[in-house]
Formats: sequence, structure tokens, C-alpha cells
Amino acid sequence: MKWLNRVKLFKSYNNKSQNQPFLEEDRGFVFTSDIDQNESMLKEEFQYCADVVCRRIEGQLNDEHWLIVYIDNLIDKKTLEEYVVKPMISNIVTDKFPLEITNHSTKVADAVRDILEGHVAILTADKNNVMTVAIPGSPKRSLEEPSSEPVIRGPKDGFIEQISTNLSLIRSRLKTSKLKVEYMTLGELSKTRIAIIYLWGFAKESLVDEVRSRLKPIQLDGVLDSGNIEEYIEDQPFSPFPQIHSTERPDVVVGELLEGKVSILVDTSPFALIVPATFWTGLQASEDYYIRWPVATFVRWIRFLFINFAILAPPLYVAITTFHQEMIPTNLVLSIAASREAVPFPAVLEALLIEVIFEALREAGIRLPKQMGQAISIVGGLVIGQAAVQAGFISAPVVIIVSITGISAFTIPRYSFANGIRLLRFPMLVLAGTMGLYGIVLGFLGIMLHVTNLRSFGVLYFSPVSPYKWTAFKDVFIRMPIWAKAALSMKSRQEQGEGE
Amino acid sequence: MKLLKYSLLLTMLVISGCWDRTEINDLAFVMGTALDLTDDGNILCTLQVAIPSAYSGGSSGGGGGMQEKHFIISAEGKNGNDIHRLLQKESSRRLFFSHRSIVLISERLAKHGIQDTLDIFTHDPRNRLKTYIMLVKGGDAKTILQMKYPLKQIPIEAVKEIEGSGDDLAVTLRDFYISLLTEGLNPVIGVIEPAINVNEMQRQASFRFTGAAAFKNLKLSGLLDERETLGYMWVTDKLKFSRLTAKLPEGNGEVGIMLTHADRKIITQIQQESVKFKIVLDGQGSLVENNSSLNISEPKDLKIMKEALEDASKRLVEDILFKIQKKYKVDCVGFGQEVYKNNPELWTTLKDKWEGQFPETDIQVEVNLTIKGAGMVNSTLELQEKENDE
Repeated sequence: MKWLNRVKLFKSYNNKSQNQPFLEEDRGFVFTSDIDQNESMLKEEFQYCADVVCRRIEGQLNDEHWLIVYIDNLIDKKTLEEYVVKPMISNIVTDKFPLEITNHSTKVADAVRDILEGHVAILTADKNNVMTVAIPGSPKRSLEEPSSEPVIRGPKDGFIEQISTNLSLIRSRLKTSKLKVEYMTLGELSKTRIAIIYLWGFAKESLVDEVRSRLKPIQLDGVLDSGNIEEYIEDQPFSPFPQIHSTERPDVVVGELLEGKVSILVDTSPFALIVPATFWTGLQASEDYYIRWPVATFVRWIRFLFINFAILAPPLYVAITTFHQEMIPTNLVLSIAASREAVPFPAVLEALLIEVIFEALREAGIRLPKQMGQAISIVGGLVIGQAAVQAGFISAPVVIIVSITGISAFTIPRYSFANGIRLLRFPMLVLAGTMGLYGIVLGFLGIMLHVTNLRSFGVLYFSPVSPYKWTAFKDVFIRMPIWAKAALSMKSRQEQGEGE
Repeated sequence: MKLLKYSLLLTMLVISGCWDRTEINDLAFVMGTALDLTDDGNILCTLQVAIPSAYSGGSSGGGGGMQEKHFIISAEGKNGNDIHRLLQKESSRRLFFSHRSIVLISERLAKHGIQDTLDIFTHDPRNRLKTYIMLVKGGDAKTILQMKYPLKQIPIEAVKEIEGSGDDLAVTLRDFYISLLTEGLNPVIGVIEPAINVNEMQRQASFRFTGAAAFKNLKLSGLLDERETLGYMWVTDKLKFSRLTAKLPEGNGEVGIMLTHADRKIITQIQQESVKFKIVLDGQGSLVENNSSLNISEPKDLKIMKEALEDASKRLVEDILFKIQKKYKVDCVGFGQEVYKNNPELWTTLKDKWEGQFPETDIQVEVNLTIKGAGMVNSTLELQEKENDE
């Protein structure tokens, strides 16, 4: 029966919402000079909100009294007591506080909105307006090294869940008034603050407009992470390739801003979005720009090599061993044949099996508590790898190939990009298993067609390789020395300025 | 439209896929083929097939050293296609010829003519034209396949390796067909001979490369021995490196040189109907052996050595030319081809009578050797001792 009661309660709540609309939606309600009425109005608004506190404070000397309303866990209580409550009681101030007053309004909707954002609303008796002061005190994570993009050399701070902190991290790196920040709010209920960040004169006006116009029509109840926004504004939702970069690193955002890109920060998400993104930026790590350029170039080449491995290694193995055995050197063909002697499955199935197991291991590794990580790697690596080969379920070359592929995917610096690449392996494997090298060529052609057609915010995904642009080329296959790159970008900006 | 496109793509997957898919462990890798002529005129084809399981892992295979790494199947038939069908019946796995390294032909079959046997190699795309073709001197070709070789798991791979080393005449099926179809050139292939080392401690059958075999009209016309093969390779510009020795006219000894560069030029002199050739051979190498009392550091002595070596080389080449001209009457160096290149019109008239004219053709040989180095010791050990005594 208790359960029934609860349902009833909920119903009554729902009834209210139908008959009496919530005040946070601005319907022109204003405060009266009767503080009791104001209190009951707010209390009704925050019905069943146990964390909303309404406090009546009376001055010690005269009978002035105030009403302060706030959400318990969003504000810093100590500051509240010290700078709001204490002056009130001791009658030092009447309506001035040594705090920044964020809003002065008579509208109820304003007060409600501010309270929900973690401000303190102060209503004075016999006055029909409300003051709100910001005393933020919600829980905050300390700055940590981003777990998804670790570097050895380079800044180690990463974004956190507070947009204000994240903005300060960017601002501290770009001390210029050219850095523009535009706020907007998304989410019917979450009212998440979104910041569009760009460098004036660096980012094209059209790009900024495009970002604004794509963000504006978004309608959803809650924004939990920038990932929610990303799906709304990307060009091609059915592509395995991410057309928007997400990063946890402020230095990456700043670097991209300097290249004229636009970043979108989302409150409550440590991942900033950067548009436009290209295929090649997916292969560039921030560390490339912190280590010396010959090494960085070499590392880039390693990545180019291994991204090919990540897509092609298992399909090539399957295609060559099942369709084109004449391509393998004699000694190798004999040892592969030897290792496959006892294996009951065809090579495609074998490779698919191991790939799926590897993906499962990976997924398990992410989900498992950290303490269990080692156990999983032992079970995964030793038991599956060693025992399955010895038992003759799978052949050793496949395990080797899949391991190489697994490692290859991790050389890709951007997590979301690596995910897309991982996904492509499976259709390629099926193509290789059914049509051999012909299938691989078809599949690769398909990928290339798709990638060269893809756009991210007006920029072709495969640029500057296709369409070809020499000046930008220098930062794709080699990492130019920083001084050369700086000179180049300086020059191109000058030319642009003259052109305008 | 989009649906149509995707369904077309999917049909492609279903229709074109899988039909020639063969797992690697469903293949029998043929490593070598031996072709023999049986007494009743049939061809006996013997295949050496690798046993992959014998290869499994270096570590686990330690105990299984005695396990056979290959087995042999054979079939007899009139033509290649029949033989192939019969051979396939002997193997549970599909015979796979792409990794075959060598085709061996017995001397008897070669004398009988190989036009019937070789045709299947040209038509069947599963055959690799980079397969070496060799003649087995004396005995059956299949004996080579049955032999063991300690350095290689598949014995026939050793033959391939020796062929590939460049020391001996290495002729692939492709080379064979090219020279067969070239105007005025007759093919030559390498010769292998089973050599039984009668060593009581370790009775081991082995093989040896012993020169070359010249073909005319797809029939064996004669064999060249090792020394002649060396000359032949030089004349045909196939020599990359070799060792030459010469007996010295004075000084009572022999001198040896290691050739590092060898070059040849054939100068064709055409006068009316008669053709004359001049072969200019260039060689470069360093002295590796000097058993004589001559002193290398003496320019005079060095000149004697050089001339002796040049003479020896000239004799070497003249011997082979004599053999192919007068004895075998087969133009396997390609003098006819030189005529064809220099004067195609003349060749059309000469073509038919070339077989008769070639043995009478005048061929001159000139050898120029350059001795680049004298090795580590500038004169012989004996000489040093004598000098010390004095």
C-alpha cells in the first residue's frame, strides 16, 4: 500500500505540473513586497526538493528580516555564514554584501534559475526584488593528467568537469582579448552551459557561424557529456570516422585554436570538442610538438605504418593464406601450414574469433576495477594465447597477427579515431575471407571513397592530401620544425590579411 | 537507388566470393618434380611433397628430428594432364605447384625429346615460370628427389639454393622458353648428378652440379662439363664471379684469380653472305693463389701471370666453342641472334641454313684481364723464406 501512496503522491505532483506551470519557465510572475507570500511561492516551486533550503534570518537590533534560498550542496556554506548570514544578524549591512551580486531582479523566474545554478537568493522584507549572489561550492575534482591522452613530455593538466576551470586553463594559455568565448545553454532540464571558443582573426567567421547555427537547434532533455553534443552536430552520423575531435587536454585545444579552429566546451564534461577535424589530425599527438622534430616525424611514420596494420594485417593474413598461397615464401608457407595443421576452423573464422576475443578482453579491461586489470591480462594473454595454441584450437600466426593489430590500434593518439579504425577491421576481414586480396582492394577502395568524400564543418576530411595543398602537407607526413611552421603560419596569415 | 546499389554490392560478395578459397592446410606443397622416361615410352612423373606437420615449431620439433619432412608420389602417363590427374588421386590434399623449386629431367627423356612434357608447364597458370629446370646426368631423375641433404629440411630446396647462388648455370623455365623462342639461340640448362659418397661412417647420398646440357629442337644434343660451363657462362654473359687458374709457362707453378667482374662483347662482322664473330671478354679480379716462384710485386712477373691467365681463359672459351660448333653443332651461345640483331634481313636468308653454316663460322676470342689486387701477401711464402735465407 505504501507503494500506492507513492504513486498517488507522484500523481499529485504531476497534476500540479499540468495545472500550475513551473515558475522557472518565465511566465511573468514577479515578487511581491510580502515576504511570506514570496516564501510560499518559492516553496511551492521547490516542492519535494529536499536539498533546497529556505532560511528566515532576523536582525538582532531591529526587526529587519531576510529570506535566503539556496541549494544545499551547490554552495560554499562557510562563505555563506561569514559574508551573508553574519552581517545580516549583526545588522552591519542592509542590502550590501561583500560579495558579487550576480542578479537584481523582481522576476521569480530569474531567482529560480539562479538558485538552480547554485546561487543564493536573498529576499528582503518589504521589498519586491531579489538579489542573487554566487558562492560556488559544488564538489570539484582536482586537475589530473588526462587518462585518455597521456604524454611523457608536455603539460600534464587536463580538463575537469567544471567549465569555469576548463576555461581558465585555456585562458591562462592565451592571454589575449582575441580569445572569444560565447556562452549558450543546452538541455531542457540540464541547462548545461556550452562555450564556443575561438580566436578572433584566426577562425573564419563562417566557421564560427556554422558552429553557432548547428548548436542552436539542438533540443534534448539532458546533456551528460560533450559526446551528446557531438552526435548532434557532426556531418555524417553513419561514418565510423569521428568528424569532431574530442580532447581532454587544454594544450591541444589551444594548439587547434591557433590553427583557426573552433572549440566547444561543455559544462560537466572534461572533453572539449574541436571542429573541423581531419583524418590527419587524428594521427597527430600533442606530444609531436613537444619533442624534437626528427623524432616526431619518425613517430608519425610509425603511426602511418601501424594504422595500415590496424586495418589490414588480419585481412591480409587471411586473404593470402586462403587465396594466394603462392605469394608466401616457401619456408614461411610451410611453417604456416604446419601451425594450421591441427586447427579445425578456416582461417577467416579463426581470425574473427581471436579478434572478437581480443575486443572482449579490451572491453573487460576498461570495465574491470583497476585491481583486476592484471588478472585479466594474465588470463587473456597466457590462457587464451598459450593454451589455445597448444590445444590446437587456433594457430600461432593468427595470435601473432591479432596481437600486432591490437598494438597497432593503440598507436593512434586519438581515442575516438582509434575506435573507428578498430571497427573497420571486421568488414575488411569478412571481405578478405570471401574474396581474398580482391576483397581487400574493394574494401580499401570503399574506405578511401568514403574518407575522401567526408566533410567536417566544410573541410574535406582527407585534406590536405586530397585535395592536395603543399603548404599544409608539411605538417602531415613530416612534423616541420616549430620555427618553420610558425614562420609559415605567420606568412599565410599575412597573405590572408592582404587578401581581405 | 541506394538499395539497389547495396544489394548489388552484396550479390558481388555472394557470387564472386569463396569459390577458390582453400585453407593452407588443405594443400600439398609440391617441392620438386622429376620426369623420367619409362621403358614403354611413357613419362614417369615423381613429386616431392612437403609434410608441413614435420615443421611444427623449432622447439617442439627437437625430438622429431628423425621424422620425414617430405614424401614422394609418382604416376605414369602419356601426357602431363593425365599424369596430373593420376597424381592427384594419390594425394588427399590438393597438389599445389606454386612453391615448386625445380623440375628435373632425366638424360634419357631429354634424348628422347621433351616437347610433350614441357607443354603443360606453359599452359597451366598454377606453374611458376621461375622454377628451375635441370637435367639429371646418368640414372633416373627421381633419385635426386629421394636423396637426403643435411642442411635443408626439404632436400630439393638445397638444389634451389645452389642454383640461386650464381656459381652455376641457373636456368628457369622462363629462361628456357625465352631462349627456345628466340631467333638463333638454342636453350641450355644446368646439369645435376647424383653423387653417392661411399663413406662407411656415414652413408649419405648427395648431388653435385656438373655443368650444362645443350638442347636442339627440344632434344638433348650434348653435355658440357664444369669447365666448359664456366666458359659458356662467360661467353653468354651469365658469369658474375668465378675462379680461374692457369699454369705458368715459367716459374713452375700455378696462379689463381678470383673474378669479381666479367663482361663479354660479341662483335659481328658481316661480309656479303659470310659472317664472322669476335668475342671480347673482359674480366676483373684479384689474385688469390700463387704457387709459383714468381714475385707479384714485380711488374714483369705480374705481366707473365696476367698473360698466362688470359691464355688459359682464351683456351677455356675456345674449347667450348669448338665443342658446340664442331661436336654438337648447336648454337647455344646465340650467334644467330647476334646476326638477327645486327642485320635482320640477312638473318631471314641465313635462318634456314644456319644449322649447317654455324659449325663453319669463324669465331675469334680475345680476353682482357685486369688484376686488381694481389691478396694479402705480396709474394709467395716460399719466396719469402728464400729471401730470408739469402
